[in-house]
Amino acid sequence: MLELKPMLSALWRNKISAMLIALQLALTLAIVSNASIIVQDRIEKMARPTGMPVEDLIAVTFQPIAQDYDMHGAVLADLDLLRSIPGVVDATHTNQIPVSGSGSASVFHNQPNQEIGGEVSNYYETGPHFIQTLGMNLVAGRNFTPADMQVVQPNEDSRTRVAIITRQMADALYPDGNALGKSFYNSNGTDPVEIVGIVERHLGAWVSWSKAGNVIFFPRLVETNFKRYMVRAEPGRRDEVLKAVEKQLAERDPQRVMHIETLAERLERSYMSDNVMVKVLSAVVTLLTFIVALGIVGLTVFWINQRRKQIGVRRALGATRLNISRYFLVENTLIAITGVALGMAGAQIANHFMVSSYSQPALSLPVLLVCALILVSVSLAAALVPALRAANISPATATRSV
Amino acid sequence: MFGYYVSLAIRSLRGTPVLSALMVAAIAVGVGASMTVLTLNYMMSQNPLAHKDSVLYAVQLDSWDPNEAYQRSSNEMPVQLTYRDATALLRSDIPARQAAMHRYGFTVSSDDFELRPFSGEARITTRQFFALFDVPFLYGGTWDADADSSPVQQVVLSKATNEKLFGGENSVGRSIDLNGEPFTVVGVIDKWNPSPKIYDLNNGPFNEAEELYIPFGLHRKFEIYSWGNTNGWASGDSGEGYEGHLQGESVWIQYWVELQSAEQLENYRDFLTGYIREQKQQGRFQRPLKFALTRPSEWLVLNEVLSDDNRVLGWLSLAFLLVCVVNAVALMLAKFLRKAPEAGVRRALGASRQAVFVQHVIESGCIGVFGGLCGILLALVGLGTIRQLSFGYIDQVATMDWLMMLAAVGLAILASLLAGIYPAWRVSRTNPSLYLKTQ
Repeated sequence: MLELKPMLSALWRNKISAMLIALQLALTLAIVSNASIIVQDRIEKMARPTGMPVEDLIAVTFQPIAQDYDMHGAVLADLDLLRSIPGVVDATHTNQIPVSGSGSASVFHNQPNQEIGGEVSNYYETGPHFIQTLGMNLVAGRNFTPADMQVVQPNEDSRTRVAIITRQMADALYPDGNALGKSFYNSNGTDPVEIVGIVERHLGAWVSWSKAGNVIFFPRLVETNFKRYMVRAEPGRRDEVLKAVEKQLAERDPQRVMHIETLAERLERSYMSDNVMVKVLSAVVTLLTFIVALGIVGLTVFWINQRRKQIGVRRALGATRLNISRYFLVENTLIAITGVALGMAGAQIANHFMVSSYSQPALSLPVLLVCALILVSVSLAAALVPALRAANISPATATRSV
Repeated sequence: MFGYYVSLAIRSLRGTPVLSALMVAAIAVGVGASMTVLTLNYMMSQNPLAHKDSVLYAVQLDSWDPNEAYQRSSNEMPVQLTYRDATALLRSDIPARQAAMHRYGFTVSSDDFELRPFSGEARITTRQFFALFDVPFLYGGTWDADADSSPVQQVVLSKATNEKLFGGENSVGRSIDLNGEPFTVVGVIDKWNPSPKIYDLNNGPFNEAEELYIPFGLHRKFEIYSWGNTNGWASGDSGEGYEGHLQGESVWIQYWVELQSAEQLENYRDFLTGYIREQKQQGRFQRPLKFALTRPSEWLVLNEVLSDDNRVLGWLSLAFLLVCVVNAVALMLAKFLRKAPEAGVRRALGASRQAVFVQHVIESGCIGVFGGLCGILLALVGLGTIRQLSFGYIDQVATMDWLMMLAAVGLAILASLLAGIYPAWRVSRTNPSLYLKTQ
């Protein structure tokens, strides 16, 4: 009914062209499925919640010119000033800007005097206002009080005895889930630091870190020769607040160098390489599918032109228009399925290589099947118009000599 | 003959505009996409120290945690040294040149000018840095030898900083304030911006070179902490305060040496072995004795300047080009077979198989030239888009030089010739009598 036998013998006469199409589809499937899985992985990564109202946050970094600068006094005065600016929800000092790609980390243990093992965590040195400023959700325990604050010199033992940690870090230190009120220790440390509060989540300084989300907050101000503030604006007032912050900080103390930026910009920069990967791969997938479709259109048209006479003869012998169109569509599907079957094997081999050598995500069967299905449909769609036009070839063609 | 075949080819391409456009597009898109990615990878894999690759070495010592090897480099040794080890190595006179260094930042201000204070990217280093890396001087030179170990407030400016502060004139002997303290300018370097930034790959391998170069003897005076990576394993190991930081086991200093002969290299290896043995007696370096001297070309690989993502894109773009070539083969086969009657007539009129073959190969070459030119345009658009997506971070590498443009056309012609060989062979085997009969 589907005229498979004459079709196969016709295909055999055109085997090189048919093979070329199948080969193109196979390669395309191998590329498209592997690219899709990477794109999917990166999009999921970029969509992870940061635990902050990123769009409302402003980061300030400043460095005083004078060597004998009263950093503690300056921070107190600046924070008072920042909180008085209209449109500012809250402000805090910090040792690092969230999601900026630059920060501090250390290893912590749930027992004293440990050298090996432990859990590595990103850590902040900040104050009682950080929960409100970063818009975080305190799920257990309490916030810092002003009495918890320690002011220390760089590399001085801070004697900090309390900390707030993320839920993820709490579960890493105490898998039984009762971390609140328990303590953790530095490597080789004997002094306990009590977990007084737990926040729902915070991504931390490095978005691409395998342990992103392991974060500890200490109530501490280290008098380094530069300092950072986070400022949270009311929704929609960020740009206006940014200008005011820049102006007022400079007026309060012009003898320093300042850099102000939005957190949204910082986040975008941190995801830059992921974003490039997503855009480039999407472009490759689209272009590739397009090129392959064009190739199929070109070849189908060519074949039909080559067989005008035979089509005319078939029509003259009683084949309907539908028979003719169907012939070319079935032929196309046969080629496409062969190509896609080859491509599925190729995709698995390529993916094995991507996973083992370049630490890319593994290809899942549903993604592969969806890609295969899309490619078969594209191939069919590409053949559709030429096949319908083939049906228009007049039976009279058969009677002409050329 | 060649000219005649080209004109035949162009006439033939015009005869089937749609099919020709498809072929040119296939080659152009394939070449455009692969050249975009290959240009990036090519520029990222450049070795700016290739001319000194046989004499320069990055120094690594395994001073890490006795319980656990260093995980963040492929040879399981920290890529930086402790301050303590760096200053000890500086005392050796075996290397022809050597430099210890790290990144830092100073506020820059000046009484003489109406210039807003700004934050200057600084490299804290030793005096031979400039000779070691062949940094060209515009004015003056490096600082005095004692500035490497005692606090001497001298500075070498980059060309751009000198233009910003002194309008580009010879500023040697003038003074600027860094962190509020007066520094004397002793030199100004010419434009110098190695890419990748091979001497310090920790803080973004495609960042710009620094604006200020500061002597190594100022650490204690300014209590300088690195503005780059500082990695430690023994917390609070050697006391509090800044001196504790300097004497501690944290690694934060990059170290390079120039060893000009095999003998120097051997002597320096002996020196490092001796140094580690001596430190072992003092209770440090508890891991098995291990150090590494790595040439610039290998250092780039060790530090994975070309990321896995870049490599994936590289392979993908080549696979893409392959699809485009297969596509072009199919289209060219279609086109040449359609013209088979013409070839049949030529054969009947006495053209050899070889002549027919050459004619068709030249036709596919022409498609390659057009495809290559369009491909360059597409690659430029692609690189422009990537530059925009990367906020200027990789401006230096996302550009096409003449070599890459030539490579693009070359790749396109090669691709189209590869695509053309089989169809041209097929058409040259045409049996002339077949077509003479039906015509």
